[in-house]
Amino acid sequence: MSEIAQGGGGGHGDKKVRSKKASTRVDMTPMVDLGFLLITFFILATTLSKPSSMSLAVPDKQTEKQETEPLKASKVLTLFLGKDNTVWALDRLAADDDKAKTDLKKVAYGPDLRTLIFQSQAQVDREHGKDEKGLSQFVCVIKPLNTSTYKNVVDVLDEMTITKSKRYALVDALTTSEKELLGDKAN
Amino acid sequence: MPAIKPKRNYPMMDMTAMCDVAFLLLTFFILTAQFKAQDAATIETPSSISAIKVPDKDIMIISIGKDGKVYFGVDNQQTRLAMLENITQTEGVQFTDKQKKMFSLQANFGVPIRGLSQWLQAGIVNPDKMKEIVQPGIPTDSTAQNELAKWIYQARRANNLLRIAIKGDNVAKFPVFKDVMASLQAQNINKFNLITGTEAPPAGWSSDK
Repeated sequence: MSEIAQGGGGGHGDKKVRSKKASTRVDMTPMVDLGFLLITFFILATTLSKPSSMSLAVPDKQTEKQETEPLKASKVLTLFLGKDNTVWALDRLAADDDKAKTDLKKVAYGPDLRTLIFQSQAQVDREHGKDEKGLSQFVCVIKPLNTSTYKNVVDVLDEMTITKSKRYALVDALTTSEKELLGDKAN
Repeated sequence: MPAIKPKRNYPMMDMTAMCDVAFLLLTFFILTAQFKAQDAATIETPSSISAIKVPDKDIMIISIGKDGKVYFGVDNQQTRLAMLENITQTEGVQFTDKQKKMFSLQANFGVPIRGLSQWLQAGIVNPDKMKEIVQPGIPTDSTAQNELAKWIYQARRANNLLRIAIKGDNVAKFPVFKDVMASLQAQNINKFNLITGTEAPPAGWSSDK
């Protein structure tokens, strides 16, 4: 603490009445407290308000169609982002497969979706192994339907980072067989 | 004989120096703080575990409001002016100097090119009411009327170091985002940033970079 006025010390024997000198010292403690409080506020306000960003790279638009090897359905997890925060997942099946109708799963965002991606990833790795570059051959195709929101897209892209799925594609067009498969879920 | 009262000595510390330091730092932080500019619409961004910070300067932000309206903004006033100048030349619209000045003060806007002059004039007449004017959003849909693409192109002409960030609202529908992406891809811009809030990654997760 700074200074505390002390009175009544001595003076018993003194006959002379001395005028007491008033101290000019000011206690700075509360002022320092206030100063540091404001500093804390400004530091936090400047650094915490900075939003983060995720980078998204989309493929070049192709003027001429390049012949690429078609993707094997057994390596692909297709996620259809539907309305009301639901995902329709088609795990390692093509949309025109006979089993697709029964295998189309409804998943919620968060842990459920993450578990599904991990399972699918592990399954693909078991069946196909790594490619020549030592990367997983697992591919995730993300198809946001028109009813999905921006948050859904960001959430799924975030899941890709979390599950370390390096190969994913954001595709907005549905094929005919997919439209058939989803039916009214697409609206 | 009275009992000897020990004279209490309170420890004393001179706080003046500490106070000086505190206020010096405070002044520094206040001066360097960047205050949030007034945005055309409040946008609640989704959060992601991404830890990349949004760059401070040379950035173009395309915002998508919760009702699907698209807003556009660049960070620097000089860039804004140069961009507006480019638009005047290509679109054949005229602005007064006051309107240009007003435009350079707007962090972002969501007004079609045709209505821009009127909106700016309203801002000059009554600056306090400017926030209350409902902005219709920049048209993005059809290819001929895609004004967003024009703005992006002219902004990049004004400053070719601009990085592109998309800031979307949680509930904005995907088709709008798709249109924005299409406007970018049409100009061979294939890499951009999505502005998100920050959230903690799940336990045990680590980035493998």
